[in-house]
Amino acid sequence: MQTKFTNMASLLLVFVFISQSLVAQDTIVIGFGDHYGVQVESSTSQAGQSPIKTLGSEGFLPNMNAASRFLAQATFGYDLDDINSVIALGQEGWINQQFAISMATSLTARVQTYHTNARTALGDPNTGTRSNWWDNAWWNYHMTSNDLLRQKVAMALSQLIVISELSGFGGNPYALSSYYDIMLQNAFTNYRTILQKVTYHPAMGEYLTFLNNPKTNLALNQFPDENYSREIMQLFTIGTNMLNMDGSVIMDGQNQPVPTYDNEDIFELSKVFTGLTWADRTSFGRTALTSTSYLQDMVMWETFHEPGIKILLNGDTIPNRNPINGNADITDALNSLFNHPNVPPFVSLFLIQRLVTDNPSPSYVQDVAQVFANNGAGVRGDMKAIIKAILLHPEATSCGSGDLPTFGGLREPFARYMQINKAFNASTMSGVFRNDMNNVYNFTGQRPLASPSVFNFFQRDYQPIGPIEEADKVAPVFQITNAQTVAGYLSGVWEWVLDNNPADEGQLYTGEVSTTYTNQISSFDFTAEKTLVDDDKLHILIDKYNLLLAQGNLTQPTIDIILAAVKQLPNTNDSERERRARFTAYLVMSSPEYLINR
Amino acid sequence: MSHHHHRTISRRKFLGEASCAAIGGTTLLSSILNLGAINTLAARPHIINNPNDYKAMVCILLAGGADSFNMLVPSTPSEYADYQATRGSLALPQNALLPLNYNNAGRTFSVHSGLDGVKNMFDNGEAAFLANIGTLIEPVANYTQFQSGTKKLPLGLYSHSDQIQQWQTVLPQNRSAIGFGGRIADILNDMNTIDQVSLNISLSGKNSFQAGNMYNEYSISRSATAANLGFEGFPSYFSNAGHLNDTRDNAIESMAEAHYTNIFQKTIGNINKQTRDSVEVFRAALGNVIPINNVFSATSLSGDMKMIAELISVKQFLGANRQVFFVTYGGWDHHDDVINNQNVMLPILDNALTEFNTALKQIGMFDNVVTFTISDFARTLTSNGNGSDHAWGSNQIVMGGPVAGQNIYGNFPSLRLDNSNPINLSSRGRMLPTTSVDQFYAELALWFGVSPNDLEYVIPNICNFYSPSSCPTNPGSGYTPLGILS
Repeated sequence: MQTKFTNMASLLLVFVFISQSLVAQDTIVIGFGDHYGVQVESSTSQAGQSPIKTLGSEGFLPNMNAASRFLAQATFGYDLDDINSVIALGQEGWINQQFAISMATSLTARVQTYHTNARTALGDPNTGTRSNWWDNAWWNYHMTSNDLLRQKVAMALSQLIVISELSGFGGNPYALSSYYDIMLQNAFTNYRTILQKVTYHPAMGEYLTFLNNPKTNLALNQFPDENYSREIMQLFTIGTNMLNMDGSVIMDGQNQPVPTYDNEDIFELSKVFTGLTWADRTSFGRTALTSTSYLQDMVMWETFHEPGIKILLNGDTIPNRNPINGNADITDALNSLFNHPNVPPFVSLFLIQRLVTDNPSPSYVQDVAQVFANNGAGVRGDMKAIIKAILLHPEATSCGSGDLPTFGGLREPFARYMQINKAFNASTMSGVFRNDMNNVYNFTGQRPLASPSVFNFFQRDYQPIGPIEEADKVAPVFQITNAQTVAGYLSGVWEWVLDNNPADEGQLYTGEVSTTYTNQISSFDFTAEKTLVDDDKLHILIDKYNLLLAQGNLTQPTIDIILAAVKQLPNTNDSERERRARFTAYLVMSSPEYLINR
Repeated sequence: MSHHHHRTISRRKFLGEASCAAIGGTTLLSSILNLGAINTLAARPHIINNPNDYKAMVCILLAGGADSFNMLVPSTPSEYADYQATRGSLALPQNALLPLNYNNAGRTFSVHSGLDGVKNMFDNGEAAFLANIGTLIEPVANYTQFQSGTKKLPLGLYSHSDQIQQWQTVLPQNRSAIGFGGRIADILNDMNTIDQVSLNISLSGKNSFQAGNMYNEYSISRSATAANLGFEGFPSYFSNAGHLNDTRDNAIESMAEAHYTNIFQKTIGNINKQTRDSVEVFRAALGNVIPINNVFSATSLSGDMKMIAELISVKQFLGANRQVFFVTYGGWDHHDDVINNQNVMLPILDNALTEFNTALKQIGMFDNVVTFTISDFARTLTSNGNGSDHAWGSNQIVMGGPVAGQNIYGNFPSLRLDNSNPINLSSRGRMLPTTSVDQFYAELALWFGVSPNDLEYVIPNICNFYSPSSCPTNPGSGYTPLGILS
C-alpha cells in the first residue's frame, strides 16, 4: 500500500476513486466512532480492494458509525432514519426526544381490541382469549411505535424482574400484556415504582406463589411461602453478596463474600408477603375468576396477613401493626429493600450489561450506581437519570472502549431478530403487524416473557469456557448459545431474510381466514439494495450493512470473505439480484464481527 | 485442521505444562492436572484394546427442587407417624403409597403412587434410591456443627441458582460453572474416536453439568432427524444448490476460524465452528437410526429419553465409547399445590424412566447405561399452605443394569423436627444431607473409567469424604463405598 501522496500517479488514483465513490453514493465506512481507527493515509488501487476514503476527524461517515453504535446500545433495532436522527439531535438530544414520546397505547388495550374484534366477528359475547394476542400485541406495538429507547429498557427490565409465559398464566394475553405494560410504562419513571407495581401484579403473585399466601399456622405446621421473599432479594434488588458501589463483592477476613442475607431473613420477609389475593374474589380463593382478573392489583385480606413485628435487613423493623394495615408492611419492606446499599450497583450492573457491555469497568458501574443512588436532585432510582448515565458514559461512547478485547457482548438472538425487522423495515400493506413469534422462539429459544425460569434466559455471571473464562470475564448470552440455537439462528435468518418470511402470522380467532389479514403479512423490500449487487458495487452494499447492522465492526478480511462468496451467486435477472442482496445480509449476520455488539 | 482438534492439542499442552509445574509442587490444581495427563495417555490404548467397552450415564435434572420426601416415604409405623405429623397437610395417606419390597433391619419404605414403574424396577433389582443426599463441601455431622462456624458450608444454601448448579458442579464453595460431566470429558474424551463429537450430549441446551474445562456439550433436540438437522440453505431445485451451499458453508467457516482479538468474537467463532463440524456427524448418525417405536409416551421427557436411546443405538457412527447425556425436566418448584402437581409430574417421570429401561433392553444396552435423577434440593417438610419451600438433603433415583438395585443407599433420616433429630436444621424441616453428591459421583466416575488418580480432578472435594492418608490414590481404604454400582 502506498503511503502519503508521494507521487502524482497515486494521487490521481485516489482522486479517481473518491470521485467514483461519490458519484455512486458510495457509503464506504471506515473507522469505528468519530476518531478511532480513521485512516489518514491514502488508499490503494489494488484489484479487489475497496478504496479507503481519506477523512479527517470530523468525517461524516464515521459519525454515522458512532450513531449506529449508540443505537445498538440504546435500542434493539433501528434503521438509517434513526441513525440520521441521532446525528441531527446528538446522543443526549435523541435520548431527551425519546423520553418525551408517550405511549400511544398499552399492550393491554391492544389485547382488549383483539377481544372485542373476536367477539364481534364470532357474534359471541363469551368468546375466550387466545394466547397469541399477547404476541401480536407486543409485536404490533414494537413495529409501529418509535419509542425505541423505552422498548429497549422495558425488555431489559423484563429480564431483571422476570415472569414467564411458561407458567400457569402462559396462555392468558391479559396477564402477560398487563405485566409487560408495567415495564413499558415505567421504563422512564422510578425503580421503586416498578418494585411496587410488580409486587401487586397478580401474574407475579402467581409466578412466585405469594398470591393467596396465608399467615403462620403452628397447629398445622404451616408457615408463609418463602418464594417471593427470597427472589425479590436475590434477583430484583440486592443479590446474594454485599457489593461495593463499583459492583465488586465485599469480602470478609477469610476472603469469602459477605452474604447479603441469610435464611432467617428470608423467613422474616416471607411474613410480609402474606394476605394478598385477587381483587375480584369474595373469598381468599386460588384461581383467577376471569381472564381479566390479572388487570387488577392484588388486594390485602387482613385475616390472612401475618401479624406482629418483622425484622428486616439493616436493622429496619416493621412495627406490630393491625393486619388490616398489611399493605403498610409491604410498603415498609419495599422501602427497606429499595434503600439497601446494594440496589444501586446490583441493578446498574445488570442494566449496563443489557444495554452496553457484559463487563463494565468498576468505575463505569460506580458512576451509574451513584446516579442511581442520587440523580443529583436527591432522588434515588430515577430511571431517566440512570439511562442517561449508562448510555452517555464515556465507556459506552468512547471510540477506544470498543477496541478493548474484553468490551461488548453477544447480541441476544431475539435482539438480532428485532434488528433485522427494524433495519430492513419489515412492512405490511396495512401498516398493522401480526406475529405469533413461534418461529423465532423455535429457532432461538427467545421471545419476550418466555424465560425458562425466574432466573431469566441467562444468568448475569455466566462464563463460557475458553478465552472469556480465561480472561475472568462473564458473557451471559452465551448461556443460550449452543449447537441447537446456533444452527437455529442461522436457519432463522435464512427463513426471515432469504425466504422473505419475517413473521409468522396466525389467526386471531377461530375461523379467521388468512385472506382477511393478507394486508398484515410482513415482508422485506430489497429494491434499493438490489441495485448494489453487481460485482463492482457489492462492497458498497456490504458497507451499508456494516453501518446498519454491525456498526462498522466488519473488518476487511470479513468483508473479503463475504464479497467472494456472494460473487458466486448468479445475478442475471431481478430475482437473482435480490437474492444476492439478501444473501449478503445473511452472511453479514452470521459473522462473529456482527454477532458481538461492541 | 479443525478447531476442535486444535483445542485438544491446547489441552495436552496445558496439561503438559501443568505436569512440569507440578514436580515437587504441592498445589492441588497442578497435581490434579498432572494426574489427568497420565490418564489421558491411557484412554486411547484402553479403548483400542477393548473396542466393545461402551458406557453411558444419563443425568435427569428435576429442575426447581422436587419435593422428594413425598417420593420416598417411610412406612414403618412410628416413622410414618413422624412423617404425617411433620408434613401436615402435605402428608400422603399411607394407603395411597406403594410399598417397596425392601426391609432394612425393620425399616420399610413406600413410594408415591405415581412411581409404580420405579417401584417395579426397584423390586426387580434394576433401580435404587439415594436417601438424604445433597451438596456438601465436607461432612457436617449435625445441627451443632452446622451452626458452629467451623465447617465449610455451601454458598447460597437453599437458593435455586446455587444449589442447582452445585449438584452439577460438586463445587459448593464457589460459583464455578464447570461440571462433573464436563470434567469427565476433559479426562476421557480421548476414548471416543471422532474428534469433533462431544462426549457430552444435551437434550436441554447449555448446562453446568456438562461444561468442561476443555470441551463444550453438543446440544440436540428430541425432534432432530437426519432431514431437519442442520442449516437452511439454497433449495435442492436450484441447479447449482450444492455449490452455492458449499460456498455459504465455506464463508461461514472462514469467518468462524478467523483470528479475533475480541474475546467474545473469538468465542462465538469457536462455537459456530464446533457446531458446524458436529452437526454433519450427527446428521449422518441419525440417518442410521432404526426408530424405537411403540415404547415411549408422547411427553417431552419421554421424547428426550427416546432420542437418547436412539443416539446410543448409533453410537458407532458418533465414534462414541463413553457418553454423558443430560436432560432437564423442569417445573418442580412447588411452592404451591405440591400434591396435585406431583400427581401429574411423577407419572411423567416414571413413564420416561421405565420406557427408557425397556428401550435399553431392546437395543441391548441395558448393562451399559446408568440413569439417575438430580434436583436442586428437597423441600421443607412443613407446609406453606399447600406447597413447600426450599430445603437441602433429598432423595434421588438411580437405575440401570450396572446398578445394584432394590436398595436404599445412604441414611434415610428421621423426619421428626424436635430436638431428638440432630440433622434437622430449621422449624420448617430442612434435612442436613448425610450423603454427599461427591460420594455418589465418585462411584459413577470410577465405573465410567476415570482412574482413582483422576478422581480428585473430576470431584475436587472427594478427599474430604475419604480418609486423607489414602486419598485419592486408594479410595477403597479408609472409605466405605456406597456400593451402588455392582
